[in-house]
Amino acid sequence: MSAVISIENLNKSFDNQPVLSRLNWTINQGDIVGLLGKNGAGKSTLLKSLLNIDDIDSGKISIFNEAHMSLSIASKERIGYVPQENDEISWLSVTDLIKFRKQFYQQWSDEKVCYYLDKWQIDPRKKMVELSPGQAQKVLITLALASRPELLVFDEPASALDPAGRRDLLKELVNLACDENITVIFSTHITSDLERLASKIAILDKGTICYFDDLDKTKENVVRLTLHGKQLTQQHIPNALRVEVKGDNTYCVVKKIDERWLQELQQQGIKIDVSPMGLEDIFLEITAS
Amino acid sequence: MKQFSISVSSGIPIYKQLCTQIERMILTGIFTQGEILPSVRQVASELEVNPMTVSKAYGLLEERGVLTRLRGKGMAVAKKEQKKSNQERLSVITEMIDELLKEAALMGLSNSELTALFKEKIITERNQSEIKE
Repeated sequence: MSAVISIENLNKSFDNQPVLSRLNWTINQGDIVGLLGKNGAGKSTLLKSLLNIDDIDSGKISIFNEAHMSLSIASKERIGYVPQENDEISWLSVTDLIKFRKQFYQQWSDEKVCYYLDKWQIDPRKKMVELSPGQAQKVLITLALASRPELLVFDEPASALDPAGRRDLLKELVNLACDENITVIFSTHITSDLERLASKIAILDKGTICYFDDLDKTKENVVRLTLHGKQLTQQHIPNALRVEVKGDNTYCVVKKIDERWLQELQQQGIKIDVSPMGLEDIFLEITAS
Repeated sequence: MKQFSISVSSGIPIYKQLCTQIERMILTGIFTQGEILPSVRQVASELEVNPMTVSKAYGLLEERGVLTRLRGKGMAVAKKEQKKSNQERLSVITEMIDELLKEAALMGLSNSELTALFKEKIITERNQSEIKE
């Protein structure tokens, strides 16, 4: 698998307040990555730094094996980006905005534009400023998909969309993932959107990607344990994220079960329940400490 | 298309949910031997999940000999020897019983209540199938 994005030692601060520090991250072709993080964790900053919209303090970023500061036009054409806030020229009509954007791309699908505008019932004669935030976001998504990108970067794509719009977007991403070997990063805090679509999840916390793994592996590895009639502290439980003793029992969440440890305890006759966790709980546990 | 159903926010990975479901559907005769399963694409867009998840499930079932890949046609239910499949039936049903027992314990049902109910159900089920025959 070839890397589409690789980030080494990225540092970025605002007014001497570090936001991203010594961040490393590699995304391979075909990955559909969900980027999770609390409010203010720096998700947007990371995505904007990646695309050279924000300047970085130090570090090395490459996209399609080119330095992100000097990305060739050909590579830029392969990227679709939907920002969190609509910053398109507000006095243009939807039609004119689309015409304007089309000029920058060799591969532009008018069909896709018509399909989405029709599906989402957007009046192309309206000016951008006259659209609701949800409608404006749909126009931005249309613009990003019309250029048939190989790398799609979505910053909270679902934030302004109603549930039906979100479903449409997810459906479209499923179709894209079927047809083409597309790489997608989308930041969100709606974990259920990720659970349907993402192949990997990344968690941004305290300025770095503190967790990055397959979604399936994550769900298999991170589990809640109940140890009946046994009181144990954090240092006695391998890979423990959180430990709580209530009465005679110990309740804990581990990043991965240490099989030998588990067997030892079971041989001592201790009853242990292992229960799986949903992504939302996993996210909360990993970012809690 | 025969319906699969998944629970996205459950802690069990979607590909695993699909595997168990397909195995159950084969054992209960919803999918018959040699029947072609819906394509990865169909399932992915129906359930709105990543197509890779669906291919992962199909791939695993192929490894286990539950499905066979037919070139140009897709995935089909593999032909099986009766003996082996009996064993598998038992293992699948054991899994389901385990789940049931957990639920029953949560609801505070006693063992005798549960066994009584189970016997009663078997009898009614048998009677009904006799009537049908």
